[in-house]
Amino acid sequence: MTDLLDYIGLGMMAVMNGPALFEIGGIGLPIALVMLAAGLFTGIAVGATPGLAGPMAMAISLPLLISAFGFSPDALLPVFAFLIGIMKGATLGGAVPAILFNLPGTPDAMMTTLDGHPMARNGQPRRALRIAQLSSVAGDSFSDIVLFVCAPFLAVVVEAYLDLPEKTALLILSISFIAAVMGASVGKGLLSVSLGLVVAYIASGNDLSPRLTLGFDALDAGVPLIAAILGVLIVGEILATLETLWRNNRALDVKTEAHGTAQDGLAPGDLKRITPVVARGALIGTVIGALPGVGSTLAATLSYSICARRAKRIPDAQPFGTGAPEGIAATEAANSAVSGANLIPVLSLGIPGNAAAVFLILAADSIGGFNPGPAVFAMPEGETNPQLVIAFGIFTLMAIGNLLNWTVGGAVMRSMSVLAKVPATRLLPVVLLVSLTAIYVQETSMFAVWATLVFGVLGYAMRRLAVPVLPFVIAFILAGPLERSAREAFAATGADPWFLFSSPTSVILLLMALAALVFLGRQR
Amino acid sequence: MTHFFKPLLAVAALCATAITTPTATLAQDWTPPGPITMYIGFAAGGGADTQARLIAQGIEEKYSWTVIPQQAPGNSGLTLAAELAKAPADGTAIGMVVSETMSYSSQASGDPAFGYENFTMLATTAEFQMGLVAMANGNFDSWDKVKGAAEAGTPIRFATASDRQADMAWHLGQKVGIDFNIVEVRGGKGVMDGLRGGDVDIGWVAGAQSKPVQQGEMVNIARGIEAPLADSPDAPMITELGSDFLLDGYFMFIAPGGLEPAAREALGAAIRDVAEDGATDANGLLTKAFGGAAVRTGEDLDAYMTQANADAAELMKAVAE
Repeated sequence: MTDLLDYIGLGMMAVMNGPALFEIGGIGLPIALVMLAAGLFTGIAVGATPGLAGPMAMAISLPLLISAFGFSPDALLPVFAFLIGIMKGATLGGAVPAILFNLPGTPDAMMTTLDGHPMARNGQPRRALRIAQLSSVAGDSFSDIVLFVCAPFLAVVVEAYLDLPEKTALLILSISFIAAVMGASVGKGLLSVSLGLVVAYIASGNDLSPRLTLGFDALDAGVPLIAAILGVLIVGEILATLETLWRNNRALDVKTEAHGTAQDGLAPGDLKRITPVVARGALIGTVIGALPGVGSTLAATLSYSICARRAKRIPDAQPFGTGAPEGIAATEAANSAVSGANLIPVLSLGIPGNAAAVFLILAADSIGGFNPGPAVFAMPEGETNPQLVIAFGIFTLMAIGNLLNWTVGGAVMRSMSVLAKVPATRLLPVVLLVSLTAIYVQETSMFAVWATLVFGVLGYAMRRLAVPVLPFVIAFILAGPLERSAREAFAATGADPWFLFSSPTSVILLLMALAALVFLGRQR
Repeated sequence: MTHFFKPLLAVAALCATAITTPTATLAQDWTPPGPITMYIGFAAGGGADTQARLIAQGIEEKYSWTVIPQQAPGNSGLTLAAELAKAPADGTAIGMVVSETMSYSSQASGDPAFGYENFTMLATTAEFQMGLVAMANGNFDSWDKVKGAAEAGTPIRFATASDRQADMAWHLGQKVGIDFNIVEVRGGKGVMDGLRGGDVDIGWVAGAQSKPVQQGEMVNIARGIEAPLADSPDAPMITELGSDFLLDGYFMFIAPGGLEPAAREALGAAIRDVAEDGATDANGLLTKAFGGAAVRTGEDLDAYMTQANADAAELMKAVAE
């Protein structure tokens, strides 16, 4: 127990005692904190801009951050700080255009428009923004606390009880689950996952001559990770949005304006009204967030519809859809609670559940010295585990991020409303250019740029065919661990071809994978 | 795959002459024509990886050269060798592997392009502190317990981090009559993670076990080198247990073949300078975890590599029989 407290202390020290960026009155300002604040404000701005999303900003800033901070373990916390800042800021910022202009800045803010915008139109935009901020930050903080408690615990349990074949089965379960819950159908989810695995298996593996290259020398080193992920996730999205704009030039334009009245701001009973709704939303968001692949949109929808149903049963409650504070609170609490809980499988098992988590894993992979997975939470006797220090450093950063969101987040949020007026036709080409530049900066090869564009076209095609893109990316990341653990399990069981069925736990995990595909798919 | 090696074979002869011909020392004047990419043939976060990164850091501090570490793990270092073979031979690409990459592994691959004469050996940094490691107070914390468990019919999982280690595990098993389940994992860190998680029972580690052994978390139940291990002087040599061979070697830096002698000398000297300077972090790590710096460069290193290749051929013959 004292060990654990030591690590928490070390983690906080790692953030606070890091190299100082500059000094104010003799007190150094740690670089990680500066990066966190910078990321947070960037995130709020990005979230507030329709057509941009948190993952996009994370994707573009990652290569730039790495080239700025280098590959030493010292780079981990500042880079994570900026990415976590964006992640937290974007969840908050997404509510701004949703409330003010009936235009969700991020997909998961869709439900916020339902009550947020009517309230703003009724002359209370500040009140709506304030409720959104409080609910969002409350949900986020709650789920972070769950993360701090659960991730180490889960990692230790998994490491202690799962044998090699069972770890392989767990990865199969994760990938199957993601394929089942994302996108329009299980078939399309599986298609996306398979594509991701095939691309990841090009030129990897233990054989000396690279496999699956079809004789192309350029593929000898495999597909550059960042090119595949940014291509499918970001460039594909830009291409698809540009096409939408080309068909309908006004699709993303700001439609209405809202002006505050004299009685704008939090009304006296608001906090009391939204507290139970926020609590429920935070819980729903956290539970859903902990499952890999289930996004914040589902959490928001679920929380909103549950609250709407309850509101109907109470006679004098304000109906949802007319600017009810509970509506805003239910959505924002739930979609923000997803982000913290989403890191539970990331930190404890190395399994990413959403796009933001993908970029955190990518950052850890590129810099080195921190490998998300059970080893992070090992506490070897008498020796300091540097990864655990980083993990608690990350937790510290998240807690400080929440603090910033509570305090200055509201003011920043309100000041960002102008961003919604930037026309997407100008914005997206700039984003595309910056993305490609960022990729070139990291890879310094034109092959990576071409590969990104090819994957961009793939991402565009997948979007047009309603094949979900996130399973592709997650499968791409999990392909390596899956193959490695399968190889190790096969060898460890004395070359038993049926190693996956060698223990009851492993069989149960495989059955759950099958059940996920059969039952979760049928509900649609 | 093979055709990019053809030009290399052509430069191989050139390279061999370049290495052996005495040249005037231009090393002091040599500076890299650009940032140096330092490929690391080990998984991120392990002992060897940290060693390489600290040496990169030391070179940057002492020489103001830019060194960019980049991971290239896998295939016992040959993934790195393949990467290096494509890189320019002007001192801007170097890689950290182990001596067995350029001896046992390159021979085992059967691809002459991986032969050590096609690369430039720069400098060793430390000798293996090779131990056969198990968790302390576990079911396998002595060689007798391993033998006893095997006789009782318990399958024993033996973690190895390279082909040579795997073959040595097999060879040892053959000699003592145990059919080990040999699991190839990533690096000594992979072996120790596997031991801690209970995924494997015993495994080879070449130095990174030092701290856990000192702390009483793990034990060296045998040693793979001639000299007694610094942390466990009582651990028996594997040849005393029945093996015909030892599992010794060095951590070392290599460069593409045909590197000009001045560059070779300058890079070798830079690595030596960092590794042997008691004020650097790299030296601290080498002293703490790898039994101290052991730097060999130039003709001394070439002679060692020739011997290591002869030994490797012999082991391979023995294992194949």
